Amino acid sequence: MSAIAAQSTRREGFRFRRRWIGDVVAHGYIWFWLALFALPFVATTIHSLELPDGGYGFDAYRFAWGSFRGDLMTSFKVTGLTIVINLLLSVPAAYAFVRYTFPGKRALLSILNLSLYTPAAVMGLSLLITYAFLFHIPRSVTGLVAAYVVGSYPLMLIPIIVALRDLPTVYEEAAKTLGANRLQSLIRIELPLLGPGISAGVLLTFVIIFNEFLVTLFIAGPNTQTAALRVYGLTRTGFLPTTAALAAIMQFVSFLVVLSFFKFFGSRYLKGTYLI
Amino acid sequence: MARVRLVNVTKTYGHTVAVDNVSADIQQGEFITLLGPSGCGKTTTLRMVAGLIDLTDGEIWFDDRMVNNVPTHRRHIGLAFQSHALFPHMSVAKNIAFGLSVKGVDKKQIKNRVEEMLDMIELTAYADRMPAQLSGGQQQRVALARMLATDPQVLLFDEPLSALDRNLRDTLKYSILELQRRTKKTAIYVTHDQSEAFAISDRIFVMNLGRIEQAGTQLDIYLRPASEFVAHFVGDNNTLNGTVMSIDGVSGETRTATVKTSIAMLTAFAPPDIRAGDEVLALARPENIDILPNGAGAEGPDVLTGIVDQIVFEGPTVRLVVDVNGTPIKVTSSGHERLELLHKESMRVNLRLQDVTLVKQVEG
Repeated sequence: MSAIAAQSTRREGFRFRRRWIGDVVAHGYIWFWLALFALPFVATTIHSLELPDGGYGFDAYRFAWGSFRGDLMTSFKVTGLTIVINLLLSVPAAYAFVRYTFPGKRALLSILNLSLYTPAAVMGLSLLITYAFLFHIPRSVTGLVAAYVVGSYPLMLIPIIVALRDLPTVYEEAAKTLGANRLQSLIRIELPLLGPGISAGVLLTFVIIFNEFLVTLFIAGPNTQTAALRVYGLTRTGFLPTTAALAAIMQFVSFLVVLSFFKFFGSRYLKGTYLI
Repeated sequence: MARVRLVNVTKTYGHTVAVDNVSADIQQGEFITLLGPSGCGKTTTLRMVAGLIDLTDGEIWFDDRMVNNVPTHRRHIGLAFQSHALFPHMSVAKNIAFGLSVKGVDKKQIKNRVEEMLDMIELTAYADRMPAQLSGGQQQRVALARMLATDPQVLLFDEPLSALDRNLRDTLKYSILELQRRTKKTAIYVTHDQSEAFAISDRIFVMNLGRIEQAGTQLDIYLRPASEFVAHFVGDNNTLNGTVMSIDGVSGETRTATVKTSIAMLTAFAPPDIRAGDEVLALARPENIDILPNGAGAEGPDVLTGIVDQIVFEGPTVRLVVDVNGTPIKVTSSGHERLELLHKESMRVNLRLQDVTLVKQVEG
């Protein structure tokens, strides 16, 4: 009796150990890749904390905030403007795509998405040529925002189309029967219910445009300096802790925006986009 | 409040005719039901009255105003949806207030009206809840309050109870009727549930394949179906093929006919279009067939003799199938005597058919 009991305990012990080893390997595998991905960010952050005397502190950040604040503000400004223009373009466009049928709808949607697949350098060069010959607005904030809009509006359009497809028409109909005109129904019913989709578009546009650098390199004028462009410029002359501080700040801003989106809306509206 | 008239209303989608030349004159304060199977065009008709679908042809009038080109939000209607359609991002109170607030009604007035409505549906304590926090029945009550808050002139119901469970459906259908009676508003109610239609309507319009098959009071539809479709869709008729031997009565309800069927000679109500010699269907409802005790009255007219084939106890009723010379006749018994019928298979019984009515056989 006791021999059998001892044997079964031993076997269970073996099973337990085997599962334990499996768990460790699985977790180790995940943590290995996580560490590998996080490493550049961690390295940048550590470098930004280094002081000239060999110690660690936040001096670089204080300096970066003073020196780069203007660049960061330019980044926020052009990103904000791009988001607003994208919204004004995409909400009506999404509405037309989802609620109406017209010939060539699918083809048009594919064409509208083309800018997502165009290499940024090609895009930057084409825009520069176009602007220089046609509009005479190269190397200005207007030109920069226009370039960003051309490159990024599908990022706004697609989540709104997805959200609008999910939104039953019955709410619009109910609003109509209760006496709401088109505009009232849009502002009080559809837009709030499309909130998550619109926020997803805002998030994607923000993350892409805030960190955009290649198109900026082509289009931005001598007086327009975005944070991303400044980081690029600075790295060519050596990698100082202050540059790392600016890079880290940009990383934090992007992380914060993405994390707060997930906190409020979850992952549903980002499916099919490059973030998930 | 308004009289609603549909004049030759037609809706086609490509080659498909969804609503085919429907006309109806609905009096002010009348409660009518569009009854029919799914796909019969009843919901399309209702949505055209609401202005949510454009007409292909025909006219819709509210009183003396043609509303074909009046957009939905200016029609002063209330529509109850199957899926209640409460705005998920607004509280109960905000939902009820919506119609008034888009009309620019004064805030204080809105508040009073919302309180009045909440009181009416007995959900005052739920004013600040979100729709998702309510039960199905509560949601539909809020939807009714929201639709009544703006005091619409026509009430439209698109199967508002079909998503609810049975007990709730029964309670709510009487609430709807009570609200309509109290407010004396014209109401059009769409349903595929005949008991709902019978319970609440002044008149029923039975629809099939985009057309109105028959319009009439509950009793008209129930006892005097005008077509084979109505006879089969409403209730559960026994159908016997027969030939009219003679017309006996004079006119109206006294116009009767003697019909020869395969199992018996029957006396039946004869609609005006029935002539002697016509091939007809004689219709007898299972619940209008009496089972005669102990073979009594076997000699009388309209009495059939048969053998009980099947007995199903359903609680309030007992359903029997009686074999009369090879023809199965369905009988429903609901009196106390039904309890004595249990386990009497193979018994010989006499049946007296009452309220038999005739419809012409469609050729082919």
